[in-house]
Amino acid sequence: MSLHHGVSLEATDRRPTVLLVDDDEVNLLMTAAALRDRGFDITSTTGGEEALTRLASWTPDVVVLDAIMPGLDGFETCIALRNMPGFDNVPVLMLTGLDDEASINRAYQVGATDFFVKATQWSLLAGRLRYLLRASRTRQELERSKAKLARAQDLARMGSFDWWQEEGRSFVNGLELSEEGLRVFGYGPDDRVNLRDMLRMIAPTDREPLVRLARQILYQVSVIATDVPMTLPDGRFRIIHVEAEPEFDEHGHCCAYTGIVQDVTDRRIAEDRIRHLANYDALTNLPNRRQLIWRAERALEFGRRLGHQVALLLIDLDRFKVINDTLGHAAGDELLMEVAFRLRGCVRHCEQLFEGVIETAGSRSHRTLEAVGRLGGDEFVALLPEVADEADAQRVATRILEALREPVVVAGQDCFATASVGIALFPRDGNTVADLLRNSDVAMYAVKSQGRNDALVYTPRLAGRGREKLALESALHKAIERDELVLYYQPKVDVASGKMVGVEALMRWRRGDLLIQPADFIPVAEETGLIVPMSEWALRQAAKQARIWADAFGFADSIAVNMPNRMFERTDLIEQISAAVRDEGIPHSMIQLEITETGLMKDLQRVIPSLHRLTEIGVQIAVDDFGTGYSSLAYLTSLPIAEVKIDRSFVRDLGVLPQSLAVVTAIIALAKSLDLKVVAEGVENQRQQDVLYGEGCSLMQGFLFSKPLPPEDIQVWMEQVVLPRKAPWIPASSKARTGTDDVVDVGRRS
Amino acid sequence: MLTLQGENGRGLTTQGAMVDLNNSGIEGTATKPVLDAACMAELRALDPDGKAQLVKRVLATYQASLAKLVGQLQLARAEGAWDQVSRVAHTLKSSSASIGALALSGLCADIERLLRAGDSASALPLLEQFQAEVSRVDDAVGQTLQHLEAAAS
Repeated sequence: MSLHHGVSLEATDRRPTVLLVDDDEVNLLMTAAALRDRGFDITSTTGGEEALTRLASWTPDVVVLDAIMPGLDGFETCIALRNMPGFDNVPVLMLTGLDDEASINRAYQVGATDFFVKATQWSLLAGRLRYLLRASRTRQELERSKAKLARAQDLARMGSFDWWQEEGRSFVNGLELSEEGLRVFGYGPDDRVNLRDMLRMIAPTDREPLVRLARQILYQVSVIATDVPMTLPDGRFRIIHVEAEPEFDEHGHCCAYTGIVQDVTDRRIAEDRIRHLANYDALTNLPNRRQLIWRAERALEFGRRLGHQVALLLIDLDRFKVINDTLGHAAGDELLMEVAFRLRGCVRHCEQLFEGVIETAGSRSHRTLEAVGRLGGDEFVALLPEVADEADAQRVATRILEALREPVVVAGQDCFATASVGIALFPRDGNTVADLLRNSDVAMYAVKSQGRNDALVYTPRLAGRGREKLALESALHKAIERDELVLYYQPKVDVASGKMVGVEALMRWRRGDLLIQPADFIPVAEETGLIVPMSEWALRQAAKQARIWADAFGFADSIAVNMPNRMFERTDLIEQISAAVRDEGIPHSMIQLEITETGLMKDLQRVIPSLHRLTEIGVQIAVDDFGTGYSSLAYLTSLPIAEVKIDRSFVRDLGVLPQSLAVVTAIIALAKSLDLKVVAEGVENQRQQDVLYGEGCSLMQGFLFSKPLPPEDIQVWMEQVVLPRKAPWIPASSKARTGTDDVVDVGRRS
Repeated sequence: MLTLQGENGRGLTTQGAMVDLNNSGIEGTATKPVLDAACMAELRALDPDGKAQLVKRVLATYQASLAKLVGQLQLARAEGAWDQVSRVAHTLKSSSASIGALALSGLCADIERLLRAGDSASALPLLEQFQAEVSRVDDAVGQTLQHLEAAAS
């Protein structure tokens, strides 16, 4: 009797609340006192009606009902109580007589949790109540965690299922889904579903492989983990993830699977989107470099296995940079999109293709690899997973060139987006994707150098130039786009008057921190044809500079730009120069063109018409490196040229080798007789200057006067050296009688 | 409570109570104490320091309900409403046992059992005994209450 209260009441500090209902007031008083003493918070009522009234606004932890009472007895009270909302799980203890078996049975029938034989053994009663409370709490926690699980599953659109084997080892009917599981498929909690219903939701084409997979899983007793595309009974298309593990009976046989189903449609859509972003070019929606290389690798695998050829076509747009620069990037993007659209029409472009899919399809499945992709910038690739021969690939290339022949309207203008296409074939031109890409690149550059807008199949001859050159070439290709080219200027001076009479523009390549000299990249540029756009750029740049200097310090001489002979063969050279000088508002005469003697002699007949027309519009022609061509000098008489430049090698050897002086003297005499200006290049010391001047050549260029300078420094040099007349080469008296470009006069003075 | 133990001259001895407890209710006799000592002790143990005046409240409640229930029982008996009689007997059975009126409780149990079985004829003589025992219990309770009042004042 002396068991102390509170000690054995675990968990809460709070005293458990008890509603005590007994018509016997004596008993009520005593029971209440006994239970209070043992740590319970007691509310007493003497009848069922009163009890229910109390319960309408209050829920005790436990209800103790006397079974036999006048009016509403314990049983009726219990039934009424269980029908009240929120009282499903409140523990109810029914107090019965010792010999009253009927009451005990009835107590359970009406929903009492337990019964207790009335006695004055209060500790037993208190113990029983504590047990009921603990069980109730456990049950509540279980309910809560069940509810939590259900909620979590609902949120995850997930539910559980059991799939068991029936007699006869069949798995057909033994399927049960949890309420949440049913919800995943759009069923209500009371719906019954079997395996056949499930299979009916799967498209026939998917069903057969799935059944095959299921058989295999059951045979191997392996774990189930697969995504199943399904059309639910309400018509929604969903992807359901099924994951389950086998369960084993006491003999170690697999008797069932237990696992979960989950609607992963949204996740799959997101995954697909991510995969799309990773594999497709955002602008054109074509496969990107990564996807293209993946496809190409698969295509090579098939080619190797089945013994056929694969073609890779590298497509590079001609003059895309110009469109981007003149019409803006938005127009450039517009053009790329249109080009992508047209290119797509040139092959059997297969849109959706993901890892894994191809392996399972039929033997011709490599055909689905065929695609056009965008490598980046204005570079596209067409992958032909199977070609019979070179001509096959060329036909596609022709189709591509044809498709791009029509102008593209961007920013309200017709643009001609022609392309240069390089073709490489597996296995002939390379065994790896990298090889094929590189070789198609080589072929593509060959097209560029031959005047663009054409296609070429790779040949080893094209690639005979070595790896370094290739790298240089590729970098040089980008140099123009990236504005890495710069012009330096070296003054030409007249030592008789001590004045600057013009400048020669010399190209430099600012590659990273390096300033690369022309000797290191001009030959490659010549070889690849890049010299053409580079020269065009130099013309525009020189015109701009002339304008700037004219404004800055009244520059009125000419800037000489070096031109390769092939530029003179181009019909648009005149237009280009005219456009350049017109844009800057300067006269044609401020641009002078230099062509080497060797270049000039290479294809004289094709160059001559240009020279005439250039001279007519006022653009003077200078022959560079004069004296090195060992050609008959007689042709000079028929050429419309204005100036010859004595090659630096002769100047260097002046005073060292007597032959040099002989050559220089002969050139000066010749120039004089033909009424040509003569300029000595590479003048580095006073003695050379004196000799040349003594021979009648006063126009010179070289380190003695100035090295090639960035444009800003030319003005500085003018202001600090020439105008103050502060250099050794400038005569002390400024009484130069000659005009700045009066060579004949110079010659007369000697 | 000391008062209760000391003043109660009705021979509420501990030994007698222990013996009686086992066969109480089966055959109540006039020689035994009206209120069982062990039961009273249990009752006092529920309120050891007497703060709640539990013994007094219980006995007063009992006395009031005894009068009420006996009245109901006589009325029902006069009407021959044996169900009603049985139910009152049931209630009195447990409350009487609670305060240690074991003889009365035993009589009530017998009456309830017989009437449930429909044997009202056998129950009639017990009902006569019941009346006598009710008077004794009522007296004993009244006296005990008087003692408690006296001790309290």
